[in-house]
Amino acid sequence: MRRLRWLLVPILVVPLGWLLFTGFGRDPREVASPLIGQPAPSWSFSTLAGNLLSTDDLAGRPYVVNFWASWCGPCVDEHPILTGTHETFGDELTMVGVLYQDAATDAEAFLARYGDSGYAHVLDPDGRLAIDYGVTGPPETFFVDADGIIRAKQFGPLTDAIMAERLAVIGLDG
Amino acid sequence: MRSWLPAVALGGLLALLALGAVLAFGSGAQPSASERTDALARELRCPDCQGLSVADSPTRSAQEIRRQIDELVAGGARDADVRSHFVARYGQWILLAPSSPAYWLIPFVVVAAAAAGLVAWLARRQPPVADAVALSDEQRRCLHEEVEALDA
Repeated sequence: MRRLRWLLVPILVVPLGWLLFTGFGRDPREVASPLIGQPAPSWSFSTLAGNLLSTDDLAGRPYVVNFWASWCGPCVDEHPILTGTHETFGDELTMVGVLYQDAATDAEAFLARYGDSGYAHVLDPDGRLAIDYGVTGPPETFFVDADGIIRAKQFGPLTDAIMAERLAVIGLDG
Repeated sequence: MRSWLPAVALGGLLALLALGAVLAFGSGAQPSASERTDALARELRCPDCQGLSVADSPTRSAQEIRRQIDELVAGGARDADVRSHFVARYGQWILLAPSSPAYWLIPFVVVAAAAAGLVAWLARRQPPVADAVALSDEQRRCLHEEVEALDA
């Protein structure tokens, strides 16, 4: 019995240490999305250019939905990656920006300053689409396959490596 | 030492019964639609705040969630339907309280189990040996005589 007591130390310390070690390595704001594997929400919104864009227009091809805002710092960092992806894949992939709690004029100023993305951005004035996608703050990016199923999500800014990894999940290899 | 055990057990039982009664009967009156919306808004986390409920936050997301709760409640959704509408989008994270009131019992069960373990451990320990009693000279002489009588 007395000898077994020494076993208590590793039995308690090892799992606790593992829990703390892995816990501190994660961003506590990152929420695991229950939407992965689910059909993407349907919507119809006007774009910055004043056209109407809906999910019906996106059907049949994989698409990327990027929630961003002109006031969001990390959105500046990932902007060239999104633009570059759009240039690389052209018609194979539709890219859509969604303004998250932002004014159209501020978003236009952002695009004028950092370069036009070349794809459409929709206004989400009430934040309804952000709630349908369970967004907690920009940037957040969702990857939808050709069947309209959400296959991956990126919480926080994209890097080239993350973009390539997530695109592979929806069947696009750079 | 164990005389207090029945009292603790009785106290614990009464606390559980009281909790059960509160959960089972609650307040009898049927809440209005706006009362239900307020209550649900207090249960849901504002997605773009730091630990605030939808009811406590003025952000656009919180306003939109509130509007959706209103719409769902007006459309005849039960409280559970409204919760699952948001859980389907954000996961359990959006709920500020556990999904079942039964989860509130977990800490009480853990504390009770730990207390039971401590009591069992204390009970198994040997009672402390009484200090050696000092013998008077008279007693010492009596003992000595008795031992010698036995030896003889």
